[in-house]
Amino acid sequence: MNQRFVTRFLTPVFLMLAMFATACGSSGSDSAADTGSAEESSAESAESAESSESATESTEPAGDGRFVYAAPSPIFDIDPNSSFSTEGIALHNVYDTLTRFNPPGSADLVSPNLATDWTSNDDLSEWTFTLRDDVTFHDGTKMTAESVRGSLQRTIDLGLGAAFIFGSIESMDVVDDTTITFNLGFPAPLDLVMSSAFGAYIMSADATTQETDWFNAGNDGGTGPYMITSHLPNESTTLARYDDYWGGWSDKSIDEVEIQIVEDSVLAEQLLRSGDADFSYNLSSDSIPSLEGEDGLAVVRGTSMTNLTGLLNHVTLSPEAREALILSFPYDDITAGLYGGEANRAQGVIPQAVWGSSTLDLPDTDLDAAAKILADAGETGLTVTYSFDAGDTQQQQIGEVWKASLATIDVDLQLEPLTFDARWEIQQGDPAEAFDVFALFWFPTYVTPYDYMFSMFRSEEFPFFNLGYHANADFDALIDEGDFLTATDRAAAEANFAAANQMLIDTNAAVFMLDVPDVNVINSAIDGYVSNPGYSNVVRFNELTENG
Amino acid sequence: MNYIVRRVLSGLVVVLGVVTITFVVSRLVPSDPARLYAGARARPAQIDEVRANLNLDDPVAVQYVRYLGDLVQGDLGTSFATKRAITRDMADFLPATLELALLATLLAMIIGIPVGVWASARRGRARDSWVRLFAVSSVSIPSFWLALILQLFFASRLGWLPLAGRVDSSTEFTEYTRFFLVDSILSGNIGNVLDVVKHLALPVVVMTAYPLGLTIRLIRGSMLEVLGEQYVEAARVAGIPERTVLSKLALKNSLAPALTLLGLTFAYSVSSAFLVEAVFNWPGLGNYLTSAILRVDFPVIIAAALVITVIYVVVNLLLDLVQAKVDPRVEIQP
Repeated sequence: MNQRFVTRFLTPVFLMLAMFATACGSSGSDSAADTGSAEESSAESAESAESSESATESTEPAGDGRFVYAAPSPIFDIDPNSSFSTEGIALHNVYDTLTRFNPPGSADLVSPNLATDWTSNDDLSEWTFTLRDDVTFHDGTKMTAESVRGSLQRTIDLGLGAAFIFGSIESMDVVDDTTITFNLGFPAPLDLVMSSAFGAYIMSADATTQETDWFNAGNDGGTGPYMITSHLPNESTTLARYDDYWGGWSDKSIDEVEIQIVEDSVLAEQLLRSGDADFSYNLSSDSIPSLEGEDGLAVVRGTSMTNLTGLLNHVTLSPEAREALILSFPYDDITAGLYGGEANRAQGVIPQAVWGSSTLDLPDTDLDAAAKILADAGETGLTVTYSFDAGDTQQQQIGEVWKASLATIDVDLQLEPLTFDARWEIQQGDPAEAFDVFALFWFPTYVTPYDYMFSMFRSEEFPFFNLGYHANADFDALIDEGDFLTATDRAAAEANFAAANQMLIDTNAAVFMLDVPDVNVINSAIDGYVSNPGYSNVVRFNELTENG
Repeated sequence: MNYIVRRVLSGLVVVLGVVTITFVVSRLVPSDPARLYAGARARPAQIDEVRANLNLDDPVAVQYVRYLGDLVQGDLGTSFATKRAITRDMADFLPATLELALLATLLAMIIGIPVGVWASARRGRARDSWVRLFAVSSVSIPSFWLALILQLFFASRLGWLPLAGRVDSSTEFTEYTRFFLVDSILSGNIGNVLDVVKHLALPVVVMTAYPLGLTIRLIRGSMLEVLGEQYVEAARVAGIPERTVLSKLALKNSLAPALTLLGLTFAYSVSSAFLVEAVFNWPGLGNYLTSAILRVDFPVIIAAALVITVIYVVVNLLLDLVQAKVDPRVEIQP
């Protein structure tokens, strides 16, 4: 064969053919990132699912009581007193809290957990918790009121993560081995606080004396159904069953758990289909229809307490501009199109799964009205900067769709993708130089509307997460009172929060985009999974059984 | 010995330069490491306290001097994200990447050198052309594309090999060295070894592609040059077998440049493995460093720059010594 023919012609042709062959043979889920109709993507996904089914065996459980969780978010810090992110996936199986938040629809907000009962005085300044007397830590020592005091004190002393939720506690008195009293500096719904997804874990006395790196070396001091056997930050965390767990075990329980960090949703999907993983979430919405049709997998939809809000800069945007932006947002296109119908339009700042949410009087998308408002205000040809998390495909797509919508009324939406740290730093600087719209996901520390409202909209001198610089004394008074009423008169609290929520709508405080969907995929040979949005993406592994 | 001492000292200067530049640049990036350490929702008071505890409010020059002092004692600092000693993180993640890079380099040598020699002996023939086509393709194909293709076919479609990870979750052995191939062999359990090999197969093949193609092309080219020398012709005329001419006479003089390139490719593989690690969810330095960069976890960024620089310096030194051994034309000046 002629050398010149090989090097100058055959090689590049061969490479191009190989690349085209690959592109034609790629799965439907690979095209999920492309813009296009959900129907076309679903059709491609269905074809891909068919070919996947014919090529791979049906998924079977991990077998031998093992469960593999493909987690799309990193797990770094497993110190229970400082962690404040997705570490809860592991920690809520290793540690317990005094109370536990109940799934939406329950009669009570919280249930007993390590605490069997609790009382408070009328003004919520003193709370007394009665504890279980049959709980042991993984090191064999018994849980007592002193354990509770020491654990919470460590959170307070460290001052990291969710330590602020205990800001009301002035002192803690150990009455006896099973009774502890909290004296508060200001009223707070401590039963709800103790159900927090962060920072409220109870640990052994030995663990309270340890530094953070002891925990992050893979050690734990919990009472939960599982013990940590290894921890590789951002890679994997493995858990093994604690036989003396106070909640007991059933015959077909899961004995070992591996939480693998798989940030690539395509890879996570492949692991589920091949049976190498038993659970995942945050998969592409285009893949969900084909996953529902996959043998051996089940799609479980829950309710989410995470929402996405576009905080509007009250310094750079006039009230008319804010109103126009809210009217221009393509709510239906986003929830039905980009999210494949899985997402719901946000009803203000309180996600619909959170108590205190209500159906509000929301404006529909109306580009004509938006254009008229801008024209009447003399603000045609507006340029608006929109910041969101770099690398987040769905946020990028939301921006692109909104940009196209605004372009029809002569508003230029400039997309500014940046890392969260970078854009947060900008937004905390000079408001006049900050972004006009700041996209922010929010999930609660403990489940109360106050968490959302306080964090994103309560007036503050130095903007922390109130990154639209919203300031309204009436709003502040409403939500503060609502927080106080939470423990004493829940109905009144809900009324306050509903009024405050409507106030945010009426004053065009933000673009309340959507409640993030909670769509999980699990091995269908596993029973017992219940999604509790109070503990985002947490699977209680001890409640699972293998039905195979 | 003097040569080695001089090279080590010059290597230290290089490392110091890289560390200094990385340290300064990381401080210029707009971010707040105290907030990273304190957590996503830490209050301003909490962040201020962390900043004071970590001495982040000291002048940059003071922080730099303190960092160098810690470095001399072997302390690479603490990761703001993992909140663990970086030396511990490195001990966990670096072997995973080194294992890939070492195996890839070894395979490239074992396969690439004989194939290059074989092709040079068949210059102009069809087999030579196919080898050259293969070599060019190996060098040209993007590693992430190759990784995705191999994963799609062999793992996802055929199910012959695992999709991701270093080892099955059910496989257990003591991690003496954290080089899983070595550790699995030491465990004495053939099942463990097979599991590790299966997990290594695809990422190693991907990482081998580039150095393999490079080695084949380089060896072939060097061999052709040497085979045209008069002494080689004289050897042939003298009746020395062709195999001896190729392997003993020509190859020895052709090997040096290939070894140099392989060494540099190994060092490059360590720093560029992140694409392969991302596709195969391989828990190596690449993933660790990528995560650190995205979070502006600058102690990790500086430490990783330091480690990679040290690898380059050591590899370069070893290459020079090996080259002096292999090629008599190269002489080390004392």
